[in-house]
Amino acid sequence: MAAERDLHAKENRRFRTLRAGESVDYPFLFLVLLLLTVGLAMLYSASYAQSEYDTSYEISTKYLQKQAVCAAIGLVAMYFFSRIPVSLWHKFAWLLYGVSIVLLLSVLVIGEEVNGARRWINLAGIQFQPSEIAKFTMIVLFARLTRLFGQEAKQFRYGVMGFGMALMGILVPLALEKHLSAIMLMGMVAVVMMFVAGTSPKWLLAGAGAAAVFVVVYISFMGYAGDRVTAWLHPELDPGDTGYQILQSLYAIGSGGLFGLGYGKSRQKYLYLPFQYNDYIFAICCEELGLVGAVAIIALFAVTILRGYWIALHARDRFSTVLAAGLTTLIAVQTILNLCVVTNLLPSTGIALPFFSYGGTALAVNLGEMGIVLSISRHRNQRKIQEE
Amino acid sequence: MGKKPKEKRSYDRLRLNSGHHRRILLVSVLLGLLAFVPVGVRLYALMIESYDYYAGLALRNQTRTTTVTANRGDIYDRNMNILATSVSVENVYLDPHELKQSKANIPEISAFLGELLEKDPDWIAEQAADTTKRYKQVGARVDEETAAKIRAYINEKDVSGIHLEPTAQRVYPFASLAAQVIGFTNAGGDGSEGVEAAYDSFLTGSAGKVITTKGNNEMDMPFSYENYISSRQGDSVILTLDTTIQACLEKQMEAAMARYDVQNGAFGLVMNCKTGEILAMATLGSYDPNNCLELADTGAADQVEQLRLAYLAQSEGSEAYEAGKKAYEEALSAARLKQWRNRVLSDGYEPGSTFKVLTMAAALDCGAIDLNTSFHCSGAEQIPGRSQLLHCWRSAGHGAEQTPQALQNSCNIAFAHIALKLGGARFYEYIEKFGILEKTGIDLAGESKGVFFDKALVTNTDKWGTASLTSGSFGQTFKITPLQLVRAISSVVNGGNLLEPYIVSEIVDADGNTVMKAEPTVVRQTISKETSDTMRTLIRSVVTEGTAKNANVAGFSIGGKTGTSEKIDVFDENGQRVQDKIVSFVGIAPMEDPEYIVLVALDTPSRETGIYISGGVMAAPTVGAVMADILPYLGVERTFSETDIAGQEIVMEDLTGLTAADAERKLKGIQLTAKFSGTGETVTGQIPAAGQTVPGGSEVLVYLGQEPEQRSVVVPDFTGMNRQQASDTAGALGLYILVKGNDEISAAVTVTAQSEAKDTQVPVGTTITLEFTDTAARD
Repeated sequence: MAAERDLHAKENRRFRTLRAGESVDYPFLFLVLLLLTVGLAMLYSASYAQSEYDTSYEISTKYLQKQAVCAAIGLVAMYFFSRIPVSLWHKFAWLLYGVSIVLLLSVLVIGEEVNGARRWINLAGIQFQPSEIAKFTMIVLFARLTRLFGQEAKQFRYGVMGFGMALMGILVPLALEKHLSAIMLMGMVAVVMMFVAGTSPKWLLAGAGAAAVFVVVYISFMGYAGDRVTAWLHPELDPGDTGYQILQSLYAIGSGGLFGLGYGKSRQKYLYLPFQYNDYIFAICCEELGLVGAVAIIALFAVTILRGYWIALHARDRFSTVLAAGLTTLIAVQTILNLCVVTNLLPSTGIALPFFSYGGTALAVNLGEMGIVLSISRHRNQRKIQEE
Repeated sequence: MGKKPKEKRSYDRLRLNSGHHRRILLVSVLLGLLAFVPVGVRLYALMIESYDYYAGLALRNQTRTTTVTANRGDIYDRNMNILATSVSVENVYLDPHELKQSKANIPEISAFLGELLEKDPDWIAEQAADTTKRYKQVGARVDEETAAKIRAYINEKDVSGIHLEPTAQRVYPFASLAAQVIGFTNAGGDGSEGVEAAYDSFLTGSAGKVITTKGNNEMDMPFSYENYISSRQGDSVILTLDTTIQACLEKQMEAAMARYDVQNGAFGLVMNCKTGEILAMATLGSYDPNNCLELADTGAADQVEQLRLAYLAQSEGSEAYEAGKKAYEEALSAARLKQWRNRVLSDGYEPGSTFKVLTMAAALDCGAIDLNTSFHCSGAEQIPGRSQLLHCWRSAGHGAEQTPQALQNSCNIAFAHIALKLGGARFYEYIEKFGILEKTGIDLAGESKGVFFDKALVTNTDKWGTASLTSGSFGQTFKITPLQLVRAISSVVNGGNLLEPYIVSEIVDADGNTVMKAEPTVVRQTISKETSDTMRTLIRSVVTEGTAKNANVAGFSIGGKTGTSEKIDVFDENGQRVQDKIVSFVGIAPMEDPEYIVLVALDTPSRETGIYISGGVMAAPTVGAVMADILPYLGVERTFSETDIAGQEIVMEDLTGLTAADAERKLKGIQLTAKFSGTGETVTGQIPAAGQTVPGGSEVLVYLGQEPEQRSVVVPDFTGMNRQQASDTAGALGLYILVKGNDEISAAVTVTAQSEAKDTQVPVGTTITLEFTDTAARD
């Protein structure tokens, strides 16, 4: 007991500026930093060829540089958010939600088109995707609502209608942007959070069923998506066009073997595998590091996610618990979807691998979100400060 | 102290009792553990179980194979003259994708290439517009000079998307000479036809490969590997063929075709009858392998062109258009196949009387007849077992004959009797021995073996009668290839050795090392050496005494057998058998120790020339002319007897300053006589002058103290004169005549050609070469 007290005292000294006076969860911090480090190392390798090609063999770190800058911004954000009291998010949940909707809608008007999709917004010279913010604010709002509804969440009008309307506020603008991957991601995260909040699983199953019916109808009426399904199930039928992406991914993964070709020695990254430095970076990981490396990366993700839920379980109040669980779920769902797509277990969706895939906004936002989880981890085992 | 455990308890309680926490626990197991299981299983399947499959596909994906072409070997004749070789040329192609990427100026490029490559610029622009492709050939086999211009243009304008690739073009320096023997290469560079096809595997060599890993869009890869498989240059092939002999053969065949207005081409062959080496092999009308698709025969080309114009005149897409187009394409293809065909070994023909040599050799060898066996030819005879009356070519008949006369006269009736004495079984046995039922085994593609009777048809005369046996004995109603015939007759004169003919004597690799050397191969013994000796005398006598006198070449001992065969299987549009004939002659020299055998066959000489259509009249002098050309070249010694002295060319020596006696002695030494005029001590002049050629035995005018006469005479038309008339006419004018061809002094043997055209002015004492032919020589 004395030792424990001493430890707390020591931590309190180190973080004396902190109101709560407790340290962050070091294992989680360590895991996140490890993911970031491995992610950046793999990004360098995976984007190497593309960078050389883009710059006529002058620069090999074109993508790494940008990603590193965003990682730095993200780390600053993580540090900053880890020190912001969780209650603040509780307080501003509605405001953030409103701002997100405004941003999402404004994209439709003043958004910039990149790769044929109007999803970016340019704010004071910084280009970012409002959908990344929206994911976060939705989670914050859901945590807020969970606390608000309390036991009422079991009722249809709160557990389904309440969360549902909050969700629609985000999904409708996303649908207008035709941002399918974000809708899917948000939907899945929302379902998990509603389950956590106490919404009856029968409603969630019904909703999932409805979504499935919608997907089937959508596929049968939209030729384009139907082609995608064919390309998913039988990529070898059109290896030059619709099947190209996934086949190249499978070539990369399959040729990794047990120990891989060695770090930096991927061949598929030499422009054979498109999006090798963002959505399909994991295929390059497999090719270079082999099954051993791939499993190690997956294990790293799994442990980080488990630790995230551990923090949620050990959070001091319901809002913190649900917020931490929601943010962890966001990482988990993205990771799982991405891995399933890269290995062709699911059809291509366009979801990036957190901490690995190239994409500045996403990385910075992810790190910032991890900062919030860290902030929650400071206050484990304590009395709920804002229990209703 | 007491506070903490309490909090801990309250926390524990919270965790266990809270629905949120229980659900989070469930979610964490689901999303933190279970969800990764399928991914892990999938990765194991992909990376371990299907490793070989995916690694193989990936490698194929990432590797580039560059082919290093091997140079095709050359083809040489026996004197190392190049018959076929390859020169470096380049193909020009566009990469439309690259042109688009580099935003190249297509109209300018099209204009430039269009002019240089003689192509329509619009067409080139069309090729460049197909941006889905990476390879569009716009120029095939352009020479180095043009390629250099294109390279300069690419550098100057900094264009990317125009490429050149080296390739090879086959060149045949002797053009149509021995074209069917040499063959040609197809568009892909593979040998088709002739030696090019038969020895393709040697000539081709093997292409090398450079396998490199390469990034997409041709990115270099630092972690790549290279695998180099070196190319092997093609071997060169040295033929037994001699271009000089080939040229002589083709020249004489062409001359004969022109003289006798031959309708359907000709084929001929010169073979060493001791070894089986092919020295020359020709099929006319030929083609130029440098441009093998073009029809060399203008008649055939015109016909095909007519068909083309006819279908083009129809409206496109109509039934008549399609039918006409098909007819045109078929005609074109048939005409091409015809000109490429080597008739000497691919096509059977009826050998006719030339085959009698084999029948007689068989009959003598097995003792069915001897040299004293007597025959009687009355012109026509009812042969037992044969329904048709058998006619001899000479309707008056040959009267009483013995074995040598039967061959000399080429008497069908005598041969029918020989066949009957021989019997079907023995006849067939010898046919087999002579290789008539099998391919000769020559090392050329496309050999056939003709069509001979079924065994029963000649052996079972009780059932089938004797028609096949008797007709077969004089070479009718069956077909064999010229090569089969020549090989069989070779064995008759060479001591009985049936040889395997061959065209390639040696194969050498690119460094000059011998890869293969051909040796003469004796397949089997056909007849005894003694029979062979007898047959040589008999065959020689056909030229000296019989139907082949026109084949005579003064100073050489030539033997041979004539043949005239009707085409039994060619019918006109009314279904009537056409009276077309193939006339042929097989000549052998020197008969004392035969070395060379020459066959010439002329297919369908025209009836319009008025010349009697027979092997004796047409083919025999042609072979004689070939012999006269090639035997001196081959170093066969020429010896003139008393009778053929008039055919010997003697170079006049300078007699000036000699005494009359010395001059006479000197002339006698070179088989000339002198006629002196004047009374001086020493010779002051002579006709003909020194260095001129005169026929052996001629009388030279020697002037003693006098100047020779300097006057010109007008050459008369000797054509149609017999030997005596020609001799008298020439003597009266002060001209000498050199006798060529048939040297028999007979009313039937007349001049058919003269070396100086009539009405030409020539100095007195000039030698005119006259070709004598027995224009009535039958068979």
